[in-house]
Amino acid sequence: MHTPAESRTAPRWIFWLLPILALAIPLATNPYTQFIINAMLIYTLVTLGFSVVIGNLGQLAFANTAFFGIGAYASAMAGNALGLPWLLTVPLAGLAGAAGGFLASAAALRGIRLYYLAIVTLAFGELMRWFYTHAGALTGGTDGLALDRGDIFGLQLNSDTVQFYIFLLLTTLLVAGTVNLLRSRLGRAIVAVRENEIATASLGIATSRIIVTAFVWSGFVVGIAGAMFALHTGRVFPESFGLTQLIINFAMVLVGGLGSVIGAVLGAVALTALPEYVRAFPGMEEIFFGVIVMVVLLVMPKGLASLLRRVSPIFHETHHRD
Amino acid sequence: MNSRAKQFGLAAVLALLAVNPAFADETTGITDDSISIGVMGPFSGNASSYSKAEIGLMAYYQMINDEGGIHGRKLVAIQEDTACDPAKAIAAAKKLIHQDKVFMLQGNSCSGAAVAIKPEVVDAGLPWIVAHAVSDTISTPPSANIFHGVPTGEANGNAMAAFVLSRPDTRNVAIIEHSNDWAHSYSNPARAYLKQQGIEPVLELVMERGQTDATAQVLKLKQAKPDFIIGALYEAETAIFLRDMKKYGLDTPVMGTAGTDLENTLKRVGDLDTVKNYFVVHPYVDNLDGPRMKKWADMIHKYYPDEELTNFSYIAIGSGVALVEALKSIGPDLDRAKLIAALDAIKDLDTGILSSPITWSADERRGVQGSAVAGFVDGKPTVLEAWQTPYQ
Repeated sequence: MHTPAESRTAPRWIFWLLPILALAIPLATNPYTQFIINAMLIYTLVTLGFSVVIGNLGQLAFANTAFFGIGAYASAMAGNALGLPWLLTVPLAGLAGAAGGFLASAAALRGIRLYYLAIVTLAFGELMRWFYTHAGALTGGTDGLALDRGDIFGLQLNSDTVQFYIFLLLTTLLVAGTVNLLRSRLGRAIVAVRENEIATASLGIATSRIIVTAFVWSGFVVGIAGAMFALHTGRVFPESFGLTQLIINFAMVLVGGLGSVIGAVLGAVALTALPEYVRAFPGMEEIFFGVIVMVVLLVMPKGLASLLRRVSPIFHETHHRD
Repeated sequence: MNSRAKQFGLAAVLALLAVNPAFADETTGITDDSISIGVMGPFSGNASSYSKAEIGLMAYYQMINDEGGIHGRKLVAIQEDTACDPAKAIAAAKKLIHQDKVFMLQGNSCSGAAVAIKPEVVDAGLPWIVAHAVSDTISTPPSANIFHGVPTGEANGNAMAAFVLSRPDTRNVAIIEHSNDWAHSYSNPARAYLKQQGIEPVLELVMERGQTDATAQVLKLKQAKPDFIIGALYEAETAIFLRDMKKYGLDTPVMGTAGTDLENTLKRVGDLDTVKNYFVVHPYVDNLDGPRMKKWADMIHKYYPDEELTNFSYIAIGSGVALVEALKSIGPDLDRAKLIAALDAIKDLDTGILSSPITWSADERRGVQGSAVAGFVDGKPTVLEAWQTPYQ
């Protein structure tokens, strides 16, 4: 029997149609458009992980770019130093990102909140970038760290099409995993912490454990996105994980809809595609980007996902609260 | 799933993988009256000031077009923004190669972005002339289709050390630098050059970016008493270092990188006395406001009237001159292989703008192997070949 909330939503299997239909995308792309679509899949995970902490958990934490960089460098370093094939570096990158998430959660556990947490986590991100730049022997410094992409079951991993199918699989699994986490008892506790941490604790819920779990899951998801990014670009550079990256990721979360899984997908797709459409106007990208973000947030302050919710109840997310 | 379904699935996946076509058309991007050239640069973002190099290059294309083009063909630049971001640069390269289908690529400021696109360009096989980024990694080891048209980090480092040693009786050389790869790209070749001459630095110091005081470094240098100091520092830190040298009475000459502009440094420190012993790598034949650079400044202003000219504005033009020379030598029957062969045939080309000639070969694609130096002589910025020897 469905709960009342679930009865308003369509059967969840409908969402599995999306990745199945997406299997045909490479039939209609060239290497450039395929590269952009692959970036959309990567940024879907980056936005999703960010949204879990900032949207669902309600913590003003900006360590997302740090997790992204940690995952990317963990993958490239494991490939180079240990000679592991890229596929085996993916779980390592996820675990490294999760470890980063655990470290970032330590600040939140010590009662640091709001703007103080924002500054501490921003500093964490900048510290990591300093490390990538200066630990040249490990990270390649500002020249970056090249990745030997190799192959998987005989298929060359430098092919954008091969990357697409792997990224689609990973993104689908992690989006589904995040939806399941948020629909679980733990996910409801995450949202409860956001709504009122003291009231949640008074119900006997160990809020510190909830906070750590949300950060660790966020780090895991974004860390895997980092490994995908390393494969995608073939070389990781410190400047890929700076403040500009963070601002773009934050905009993706807000434009899609804070705390919404559908919003994470929409925000990532929209803000990855948009800069490509304004390529024809060199130097205008920042202006277009800023205007579009402002317009979306003024017209739809709850993000693109809220528009879809108005169109059809199929897009209602049981774990999501406006 | 039965075996037939598995076979069908495997066949479908392999068919999808085969969709992306190989890219090897030798005459892609050429028509009877045009040659399309992908020009990538940081037209947005924090490093957008570097894109002045690409503006200068495109002004040169327009000048050539106004003169009738090359064998009846105009040079058509297709601009793409990299924002100095490696991922954006790869997207830009893929777009130019696979969607816009350009004949060749020229431009690229920012070494990181250029290094990131190298595998894509090598796979595609189209000619690429790097016109601004300096990392030796881009063109070494040589790739079949990549040409470097500016002095690389190694050429600059060698030029710095050679100038230092051209001062009579220079034996004690100290090095002060940032602890990043940009600084190392100058200081390491300079170290190697010194070592070849049997000289080890008497003192090696670090001054971090953002440091607002160089007292400790200057006092150590005073004790070491070097004959010359090599400074691989950004402009802001250079100004602080020179200011503190003057404050503590240290008047040792300092050799700086191409990342600092002589006159901008003077503006920063405010008085000529502080910079009178400061020298910088200068890749041009004249001062920026000198008579031999005037025609290039006028050319840029003709096509981009509002463009503010800086040191970067001229750096890519020399490689543009080399491209035109190669295209002219081929004749009207143009293809990529012929262009690559013609570029490799360029030897000791005086571009009229770069202080060192361009020479390419299949074994060495770093075409500009040296650079002049600029310093103040009698209070005026002067281009020098060696210590107290004006550039001819």
